[in-house]
Amino acid sequence: MSILANKDTYVVIQGGLAGVNAARRMAEFCYLIKRSLNVLAFVYPPDAGKTNEIPYGSGLLAVPIYKSIAEATHNHSQINTSLVYIGADRAMKGGMEALDDSHIKVVSMITEGVPEKDAKILGAHARKLGKVFNGPSSIGIVSAGSCRLGVIGGAFDNLVLSKLYREGSFGVITKSGGLSNEIIWICSQFADGITTAIGIGGDAYPGTDYVSYLDMFENDPQTKAVVIVGEMGGDLEERAAEWYGAKRRRVKLIAVVSGFCQESLPKGMKFGHAGAKEGLKGEGSARSKSDALKKSGAIVPATFGALGPAIKETYQELLKSGQVKELVEPAVLPKLPKSIEEAMKANEVMVAPLIRTTISDDRGDEPCYDGYPASELINKGYEIPHVVGLLWDKRLISKQEAEIIKRIMMLSADHGPCVSGALGTIIAACAGIGMSQSVAAGLIMIGPRFGGAVTDAGRYFKYAVDNKLSVDDFLAYMKKNVGPVPGIGHRVKSLRNPDKRVKELVGYVKSLNIKTPCLDFALEVEKITSVKKDNLILNVDGTMAAVLVDIGFPVDSLNGFFILSRTIGLIGHWVDQKRQDSRLIRLFDYLVNYAAPKRREVPPLK
Amino acid sequence: MAKVLEGPGMGLMKKWGITVPNYVVVTSIDELTKLGQANEWLKKSKLVVKAHEALGSRFKLGLVKVDLDLKGAEAAAKEMIGRQVGSITVSQVIVSEMIPHKEEYYCAVKSTREGTDVLVANCGGIEVESNWDRVKRLAVEIGQQPSPASFEKLAKDAGFAGPLAKKMAEFAGKMFTCFDSEDAQYLEVNPVVLREQDHELIALDAVTLLDGDAKFRHPDWNFAFAAEFGRAYSKHEMEVMAVDSKIKGSVKFIEIPGGDTAMLPAGGGASVYYSDAVVARGGKLANYAEYSGDPPDWAVEVLTDKVCSLPGIRNIIVGGAIANFTDVKKTFGGIINGFRKAQSEGKLKGVKIWVRRGGPREKEGLDAMRALKDEGFDINVFDRNTPLTDIVDKALQGK
Repeated sequence: MSILANKDTYVVIQGGLAGVNAARRMAEFCYLIKRSLNVLAFVYPPDAGKTNEIPYGSGLLAVPIYKSIAEATHNHSQINTSLVYIGADRAMKGGMEALDDSHIKVVSMITEGVPEKDAKILGAHARKLGKVFNGPSSIGIVSAGSCRLGVIGGAFDNLVLSKLYREGSFGVITKSGGLSNEIIWICSQFADGITTAIGIGGDAYPGTDYVSYLDMFENDPQTKAVVIVGEMGGDLEERAAEWYGAKRRRVKLIAVVSGFCQESLPKGMKFGHAGAKEGLKGEGSARSKSDALKKSGAIVPATFGALGPAIKETYQELLKSGQVKELVEPAVLPKLPKSIEEAMKANEVMVAPLIRTTISDDRGDEPCYDGYPASELINKGYEIPHVVGLLWDKRLISKQEAEIIKRIMMLSADHGPCVSGALGTIIAACAGIGMSQSVAAGLIMIGPRFGGAVTDAGRYFKYAVDNKLSVDDFLAYMKKNVGPVPGIGHRVKSLRNPDKRVKELVGYVKSLNIKTPCLDFALEVEKITSVKKDNLILNVDGTMAAVLVDIGFPVDSLNGFFILSRTIGLIGHWVDQKRQDSRLIRLFDYLVNYAAPKRREVPPLK
Repeated sequence: MAKVLEGPGMGLMKKWGITVPNYVVVTSIDELTKLGQANEWLKKSKLVVKAHEALGSRFKLGLVKVDLDLKGAEAAAKEMIGRQVGSITVSQVIVSEMIPHKEEYYCAVKSTREGTDVLVANCGGIEVESNWDRVKRLAVEIGQQPSPASFEKLAKDAGFAGPLAKKMAEFAGKMFTCFDSEDAQYLEVNPVVLREQDHELIALDAVTLLDGDAKFRHPDWNFAFAAEFGRAYSKHEMEVMAVDSKIKGSVKFIEIPGGDTAMLPAGGGASVYYSDAVVARGGKLANYAEYSGDPPDWAVEVLTDKVCSLPGIRNIIVGGAIANFTDVKKTFGGIINGFRKAQSEGKLKGVKIWVRRGGPREKEGLDAMRALKDEGFDINVFDRNTPLTDIVDKALQGK
């Protein structure tokens, strides 16, 4: 047997994330003792109608979220317990809602920093209704082998180590959450473990005090002894002593009290727990509590360290008197499935990666490009073209190569509003579309007829140079296999009206002392083609392509230089339209050649 | 519990209809002079000047001056403002009017488990301490509003008679309302005096403790809470408090000058047991500290930095019970970073570190601590199999 929480306890959790985390811990316990999940519902109005996913073993359970306690208990009539994980400013309302629901018999409040007055009101209301209000600031309640409420008991491994999968003979009541776990562990190592452990919370006026729980333990035949972990402040320990001394009790009482250090500390100093504080007139000191407990006949070890041996001694006596029998531990306990991360850390699984990358890694404190930390690149004077070199071709390019790339980008950043890309972006911007989509609308124009010829131009010039083709052989090859030469020809520019960007770039590259076989070849091609037709000149795509191949960039990356550069312009156009608050535009009818059939009658549907 | 200084405390009583003497809180003589020009009572009444700081025994320290005129009050204020008492600099004084009276009484309201106790005595001042049997009590259950008749009965029980009983009952009633409405934890007026001129009951001196957790529903609590142990918070304490107010979970730090055993334990409950163990072993605590509720590692690092900066320490106790949900590896990561920083600043020379802990990811956390040995730390690491406070025994052995 146990008290407060058992196999028939079914729970609603009030609150958000903290409550979900508690439910996960509770599911681990349920899995350990092979019972179904005891959390049947959540109450959290912002997410009402959705579900929370709670891992159970290797599966996931969907637990519904409701907007009120009434809704939760209406749908799950087994619910008899509520755990409150609501913020301190709304905790009282939530606690009241739970207490006032006829299905609910036990409310345990985890919330810390609840005003004292609210806690007292909740406690009094519960007593009036004959229900239990536990907390605030409670770590939870756990009955070994049957029910866990909250995170009490800690991680799965600790549940096993503390033998919480089966009942022992010791009840535990503590104010401190961390110490509740410690005592559960001690009971499992020095004795046969616990029946039920309750965290009552470290506030000045817990909703339910030691005495009420001592009464419950006294009436639970399985519990043979109760361990109380107290601290200075308030009079709960004195009341417990009074209860124990009042008449002969079936359960043995073992108690420790903290706060003796207060005698040598500044008066009025605040400890971690709100209730851990001597009264204004010195009442509630550790010494007065400890003396009261001793006087009542309780076993009071001198220090916390002596608690283990004291528990052991009590257990031995219980064994000798035949009140308890030594337990046989189950041979096999369920193991909690490991997450992939845990299993990998333990070298237990090998996972085939889904993707593979060879260029960058930002798992550390900053991104590394091809292994070089970004900040170090910045501090050593590298610039954007170098980052392009690292991410597109995995190499640190030279200063000279970086300068060429910079110039290419500057020359192709924008070409006014009329070209396909910019027009696409502007139309989208005027329709009120956001930046990324509008810029994407411009980018999708880049293709064989607009800006997208760089890669192909590079590919064929490189083919010619690699295979040492003459210009005539090249043109013949292109005519037969491809069609018009990518990188040659312009819609507007011609020999008489040359493209200044091409002149600029060619001039610069030729001024450097580097080998440019592709560019040289492309210029030779231009000489022949421009004679055939005035506008069949080497265009900016072709020039970029030839130069980039010459400085070693892979053919597949070449369109990227245009896309990257032109993105600067497209963003500019979007911002420009946005700033002007441009209105929606549409084509004028006179810009359309309506070549569709004239209006006619629709025949009947057959 | 949050202590409130006299000025704001009297302000709250006034709000609920309790008559208090006229008073002003000033930070400079100029301010007092100007207020003197604007307020008749400052010119006409006899005045009391008191240092408006969280200081005990102000009378003995000469920080209370009575029976002054405005000139005298200005002189007293001048003398007090800027005075250094221990770690506190007097920055404010409260100047209030003296109330001529013959009789002194006592009224207090305090929090109990069941609700509230209202206490009344027909003696006051220091007399009440030695005549505690004359203090009569009205116990009010939480959520209940006592009737005027029950307050009258209380006053009569305490020995008040006639119209004065009615007045005292009203006074106690207002004290209760103030307590209940302001989320107070303790209100004490000692003495309550009977003003000679109009036979009005006046709250002459007030102790006010409020429930700091209820601040969210009191937008007019625009005053700062005072330190509760008779000294100002130190710079390091305030830095840790600032971190504490920002994070999930908590970090706490209080310095105790002259100690040599530094505390860095986890948990509001366990930390006190660790402190007890140090005292029981004859050690001298250099501080109280605690972290809990799975605080972020950087917050624990700040706390560690402050602990390592304590002067004259010989041992650091990194204790803790078996955590429920505090991630041992993560929080220890913060402590380890703090230790490394302190070591690089030459702070941990000759200091022994003692570790004991359990909880989520305890193995990883403890292994990381053990590895500090290779970095030259004098560190001893124990797991859950070593009882909670045994590391204190080991640390202080041979003392």
